[in-house]
Amino acid sequence: MINPLPVVFAELRRSRAGAAAAIALVAVAAALGVAITAQERALRQGSARAADSFDLLVGRRASPTQLVLATVYLQPDAIDLLSGETLKRLQAEPGAARVVPLVFGDSYRGQPVIGSSADFVTDGGRRPLAEGRVFTAMREVVVGSRVPIGLGESFAPTHGHVEDAELVHAGFTYVVVGRLPPLGTPWDRAILAPIEALWRVHARPTGHAPGIDRIGSPWDVDDATGASVIVVKPRSVADAYRLRARYREGDTMAVFPAEVLVELYGMLGDARRLLSVFTLLTQALVIAAVLLAVFAVEAQRRRQLGILRALGASRAYVFSVVWLHVTVLVGAGAVLGLLLGWLGAWGISRALAARTGLALAVAVERPEISLIAALIVVGALFAAWPAWRCYRRPASALLRS
Amino acid sequence: MGVPLHARDVRLRYPSPDGRRRDILDVPRFALADGARVGVAGPSGSGKTSLLYVLTGIEVPETGEISWAGLDIARLGESARDRWRRATIGLVFQDFHLLPGMSALDNVLVPATFAHGRTPRPLVQRAQELLARVGLEKSDARVETLSRGEQQRVALARALVFAPAVVVADEPTASLDAESAALIGELLLALCAETSSTLLVVSHDRRLLDRLDTVHTLVDGRLASSPPHALTAA
Repeated sequence: MINPLPVVFAELRRSRAGAAAAIALVAVAAALGVAITAQERALRQGSARAADSFDLLVGRRASPTQLVLATVYLQPDAIDLLSGETLKRLQAEPGAARVVPLVFGDSYRGQPVIGSSADFVTDGGRRPLAEGRVFTAMREVVVGSRVPIGLGESFAPTHGHVEDAELVHAGFTYVVVGRLPPLGTPWDRAILAPIEALWRVHARPTGHAPGIDRIGSPWDVDDATGASVIVVKPRSVADAYRLRARYREGDTMAVFPAEVLVELYGMLGDARRLLSVFTLLTQALVIAAVLLAVFAVEAQRRRQLGILRALGASRAYVFSVVWLHVTVLVGAGAVLGLLLGWLGAWGISRALAARTGLALAVAVERPEISLIAALIVVGALFAAWPAWRCYRRPASALLRS
Repeated sequence: MGVPLHARDVRLRYPSPDGRRRDILDVPRFALADGARVGVAGPSGSGKTSLLYVLTGIEVPETGEISWAGLDIARLGESARDRWRRATIGLVFQDFHLLPGMSALDNVLVPATFAHGRTPRPLVQRAQELLARVGLEKSDARVETLSRGEQQRVALARALVFAPAVVVADEPTASLDAESAALIGELLLALCAETSSTLLVVSHDRRLLDRLDTVHTLVDGRLASSPPHALTAA
C-alpha cells in the first residue's frame, strides 16, 4: 500500500493560487455545459406544461407558430380575427366538448385583457379560483395570480398594448371579482374578461339579443363579431384529428400547440447541440490549459519527485502523485461546475419567469451528471500523460533535473 | 546494525558535449566496514554526488559490482532497488529537500507513506522522538517557516525514521552557518552511533571530516585514500 495523498495535498497547499485558478477554469467550463442542458430541458418542460390546457386552436390562416405564441405564451402580436361564421360552425360540431372564443388586443398597464368565458376560466369547473368568484356579468373580470390589482378594484382597459391616454376605452370600467391560482404560465399575468365585454367595448354585437347583458355560450354571432382564436376541447382523440382536418381548409387553420412546440423544440435542440459543442470545446481547452500548466511546472517538480525516489518511493508512487494532483484539480473543478451550472440555470429561470411568467423547474438530471462524470474521466485519462512521463524517468534523471 | 559494502570495478560514463563518452566515475575498489564512518572529499565536479547515487542504487553504473552485505544492487531491477533503498539507506541532502506545505512531523513521516496506507502508530511515535532528539520543538510547524538549521534537523530525523543500516549524507553542512553546521555534524554522528549505522559523508567541511574514521579524496572520478589528519595538515 502506498499513500501519496499527503504529498499531493502539500503540493496543492503550496501552489494554492494556481490550484484555485485551475479549479475555477474547469468549474466555469463545466458550469456552461451543465447550465445549457439543464436550462434547455427546463424550458422544454415548462413550455409544454403551459400548452397542456390548449387542446386544439383554430385561427385565421397565418403562421401556426404565431398563433401558438400569441395564445399559449400571450406574445403581443396582431393576429387577424376569425369570422363569426367559424365560431358558429364550431359550436355546432358534435365532436367539440367545449368551444371558447378568445379575443386579444386590449390591456391594462401592460397586462393583457383577454376576452373569454367563465367555462374557460374554471377549465369547465375543474379549476377552483384562489380568491373571489368567476365573472357573471359583463363588467366583471378575473385576474391571474401575478396581476397587481386587488379584488373589488376597478380600472379602464386600454386599446392595444401601449399605455396611451388617447386609447383608453372611455366610459368602460371593469371590476375585479376573482383571482386565479398560480398556473406557472404567462396566463398568470392575464386579466380575463367575458368576451362579450370586449365585443361591446369595440362596438360589436355581443352574440346575444341586443340590449341583453347575458354572457357565456352559446353565442349567436354574425360576421361582424370575430375572435382572435377559438380554443376547442374535443370529445376524443378521433374527434381532435377530425376537427383539425376540417378546419384546416379555406381561410382557417387548426393546430395542436404540441405539434408546433415539437418544431420549436427541434430548433431549440439544434441551438442546444451547437452550444454544447462549444462548451465541449471549452472543456477540452481547459483540460489542455491545466495540462499545459502541469507541464510548465513539471521540470521544477521533477527534482522534488527525484528526492522522493531517492528516499525510497517507487515509480508507482511518483506516478500517483502527479496523476492525483491533476485529477484532483479537474475533479474538484467539475463538481464545483455542476453546482455553479445548476445555480446559473436557476438564475436564468428566475429571470425568465419574471419576464414571461413561465415557471421553469431547473433540476440536475442524468445528462448533467454524465457530462460531469465524462469530464472527470477525460481529465483522469489525460492526467496519466504527465504522470507517465515522470514514471518512465530514472530516479537519477529526476534528481539531476 | 550497519551493513558492509564491497564495490568493485565501478565505472559510470556520460556523453560529453563533443559526443564522446567521458568517465564520471572509475572506482576499482571501495569498501565500507559495518558501522564505519567514512568521508569523501574532493573538488566540485569530481564525481562525489555520482558516487553516492551509484552506491545507493539511485543510479546504475555501466559496469561493476556494488555489494551491500552480499547483495549486488547493480543487478537489481528499478523497483527492487527502490524497496532496498527505502529499507536500508537514510539520505541527507545539502539543501534539505523537505516538502513545503507540510509540517515537520509529516515531512519526517513521508518515507512511511511509500509503504503504508496509514502510518503505523509506533512510526509516528519514533518520528516525534527523533524530532525531540534533534531539538525541534515545533513539530507541527510548516517546514517553510523554519530556519535553515532547523530544516536540516528535520531532514536528519527523516533520514533516520526507519533506523537505516546506512546513512548517506551529501554535503549536509554546506548550506548552513558555522554554528548550525557544527550542531548538524554533532547530531549526525551521534544519531548514527545510536543506531549503529554505517555513515558515508560527502563534504568539504573540515571540522566534520576530521571526526570521521577515514576520508577518501575523489579527483576526476578516481579515489585516493588518505588519513583525515593528513588533510587537516595540508
